[in-house]
Amino acid sequence: MIATLFSTGQLNAPLGLAVALAVGFCFGLCLEKAGLGSSRRLSGLFLLTDMTLAKVLLSALVTAALGLVAAQRSGLIGLDAFSLISTTLAPQALGGAIFGLGFALAGWCPGTAAVGLGSGRMDALVFLAGVVLGSIVYGEAFPWLAPLASVGGQGVTFLNQTLNATTDQVVLGLTGAAVFAFWVCEVVERGPAIARPGVGRLFLAGFSALLCLGSLVALNLPRVSIPGGQHISGASNIASNNTSGQANGRTTGQNSEQTTGGQNALGVSPEARILADAEAGKGRLEPVELARRLMARDPGLTLVDLRPKAEFDAFHLAGASNISMSQLPEVMADKRGQGLIVLCAAGTTRPAQARDALARLGFDNVVILGGGLQEFFEQVLKPASLRDELFSAEAAAKIQTARQFFLPAELSRPQAPGLLTPPGPLPGLADATWLAQSLNKPGLKVVDLRPAAQYDSGHIPDSLSLVPDNLRGNVGGLPSQLLPGSLLARHLGLMGITPRDLVVLITGRAPQDATLAAMALERLGHSRYVLLKGGMAAWTASSLSTDKALPKVTATRYPAPETADDAPDAFTVNGLEVLTAMTDGKTVIIDASPADAYSGDLPGDGRSGHIPGSVNRPFTEDQAAGPADTVTVRPLDELAKAYAAIIPGKDRPVIVLSRTGRDASQTWWILSRLLGYTNVKYYGAGWAEWASHPEWPAVASPPPAKQDKKS
Amino acid sequence: MSDTHSPDNSQAAAESPAPDAGVHASGPRSDRSDSQIPGAPPMNPYLAGMFLGLTLLASYLILGVGLTASGGFARMGAWLEHKLLPARVETLVSIASWFPAPLSSYLVFMVLGVFAGGLLSALTAGRMRFTVERGPTATCSRRLILTLVGGLLAGFAASLAQGDVLGQGLSGAALLTTGGFVFLGCFLAAGYLAAWAFGRQWK
Repeated sequence: MIATLFSTGQLNAPLGLAVALAVGFCFGLCLEKAGLGSSRRLSGLFLLTDMTLAKVLLSALVTAALGLVAAQRSGLIGLDAFSLISTTLAPQALGGAIFGLGFALAGWCPGTAAVGLGSGRMDALVFLAGVVLGSIVYGEAFPWLAPLASVGGQGVTFLNQTLNATTDQVVLGLTGAAVFAFWVCEVVERGPAIARPGVGRLFLAGFSALLCLGSLVALNLPRVSIPGGQHISGASNIASNNTSGQANGRTTGQNSEQTTGGQNALGVSPEARILADAEAGKGRLEPVELARRLMARDPGLTLVDLRPKAEFDAFHLAGASNISMSQLPEVMADKRGQGLIVLCAAGTTRPAQARDALARLGFDNVVILGGGLQEFFEQVLKPASLRDELFSAEAAAKIQTARQFFLPAELSRPQAPGLLTPPGPLPGLADATWLAQSLNKPGLKVVDLRPAAQYDSGHIPDSLSLVPDNLRGNVGGLPSQLLPGSLLARHLGLMGITPRDLVVLITGRAPQDATLAAMALERLGHSRYVLLKGGMAAWTASSLSTDKALPKVTATRYPAPETADDAPDAFTVNGLEVLTAMTDGKTVIIDASPADAYSGDLPGDGRSGHIPGSVNRPFTEDQAAGPADTVTVRPLDELAKAYAAIIPGKDRPVIVLSRTGRDASQTWWILSRLLGYTNVKYYGAGWAEWASHPEWPAVASPPPAKQDKKS
Repeated sequence: MSDTHSPDNSQAAAESPAPDAGVHASGPRSDRSDSQIPGAPPMNPYLAGMFLGLTLLASYLILGVGLTASGGFARMGAWLEHKLLPARVETLVSIASWFPAPLSSYLVFMVLGVFAGGLLSALTAGRMRFTVERGPTATCSRRLILTLVGGLLAGFAASLAQGDVLGQGLSGAALLTTGGFVFLGCFLAAGYLAAWAFGRQWK
């Protein structure tokens, strides 16, 4: 393995500048010798009068490509020793096209114009003035072009990846295409418009054969290597091998295993792909790794914060220095190639720009903080009590240590115990006094289920508005179904709710809205919730404060439950299951619809009536008017007595349904969550689905004698 | 395709460029008759290309970067702009990082090398002429205006694509990167289209 000046960070050191001067000299010499110091000859490319440029470029392209493939195949050099330009389709395609236009107009490109200037061509001087101006224009226009400049970005990609071919196929194809193009060029050039050196057929045939032979040799060079990652391509290279290893270690900022693996994996196409992928992910350091190194006080690590000074002063990571992008190269000059420079800001855009800019200055040891400071907070500093997942005591202690290390003392004090203490068993009921005491405690989320207008005119401070119907939608053709868990989880996440939050459900005068929301939480396995007894009316009756401000919410990722499509949760049953249960003789089917709907007296249903054998217990029967115009569920003992009369035992299978599932949610909740019935299922699709199946039996009967018709 | 140029060439080479240079600089007297590019005939393009390829290979193996000229000119542009509007440049994201010393970059030194190589080769081969190269019917001002516009476009495009036809096209494609080939393809397509539209200047 040999190390390049790029990989050792010496590109802009005196040695690098001297070599660049020498390489440039040979470059200019070759161009001039080929006669490319003449715009007349150059423009012949597009006028098809003089194909010298095509011949020179293609010949150089194939020669260099074969040499590079051979160098990699033999293990002489690795891809990571090269400064690779990433593929960014839009600017490269557009840039190529505009450049082609400019070339056709002027007859020059910057390299040949430098040679042309050396040959005394004044048009080359004018062209170069244009080039300098054009690059200034680009710099000025960059703020507007920045979005375009990243369109089609793919990281470093190679033609074989894009074409889904092997490197061998690409190299052979390229050689073949070049040889073909040579012969085409010779045919295309008609007449000696410009003095051209004579190229005999014999020479061209020989040259073509040489390139083809060269490609075969390059692709089949044996790898000079020793198992264990040491590559020797010459006796003198052992020393430089070591240098290269160190340089790469600095460059990647990752462990040396990865680098060694990369070096072993050179040359062959799939491995080159892996390497390129590693290359693409190479410029970043993950927050957890940065935290580990900072806490270990790694002396080789330089952390630079690119944010404005005010933001830096407000908070920064311990050990970070605040340097603006324009000063960066100067301040960091002595760190070029030394250790690892980590750039951070709130996000990653500016650090990535600065990293790439530094890379062009020959800083090969610059990485950015992956995900920026935001992600650092999320992954390293977020207290265990605010995270979605539950932590072991050990892991939580680790987080606390990190908080103490990075955060100012007043922020890093241990939080109040992770979980908020509920008023009683969960799920359950809570009263307004408890809620008033618990407001503003972390881990409490108050969800207001009243219509938006009522919420807007005054709500419990920091409560979140949620219209219950937003929890339902058309699922598989059935209207008004509780949405699948994944959507509900997304919804809760957007509201900033986490599985560890204690959710308080507030309604106006309809407890069934709260129980419907409770069904949604149950579907997600979220049992840390309570219903506010008496709803909002109980709150206002206690003269507790309300406000009109909207709460500040940071979206979370609420984990979605893993469920099958046909069984969204453990308690919901479908129509076919109800049909089976109807005749099994054990299951008690309770219809929570209003009595007139149950009996079939209520017009408007597609088909009126109820499931044969089902018992009507209207949901309103379970509600009672409380003090101060509140509506709440009846006292527990009354409910227990009423349902004991309907259901013979606490473990008897029960199915509850109503017209659309909202009313039944209250019955389900009372039975399973307040009264302790253990086998209560919820037919959410309810009568809306049942009535649409003419083959499923239904009866319409007069209502039971004792019925107070309130709905 | 023929090898019958040698008599002309020896004649041209015999007329040493040094005394002529001043004459050409003072007036475009000989431009009209300049249908043949003066001096020794160029080298066999395939061999010159092979040497260029070897130079590129050496650049990659020693420096780790490809050949490029546009980057150096962009640096010069930034330097120039900084001389004129120092405060302005600090705010430009794409070039602010080149400062404080935009010129102490390998890109600039490579361009200087290209110029020196071209100068030496042109002098030794007798191809040095102070002249504005143009087609027989094009006026000098028209030629220079088209050249300036072309240069503007090329400089802008090279910054946009992070390289010119040599830096992005040749050097990128030699490493078989996709971007290099995309650039070359679009370069050729647009070039032929434009030559079809603007090619008259050389006829």
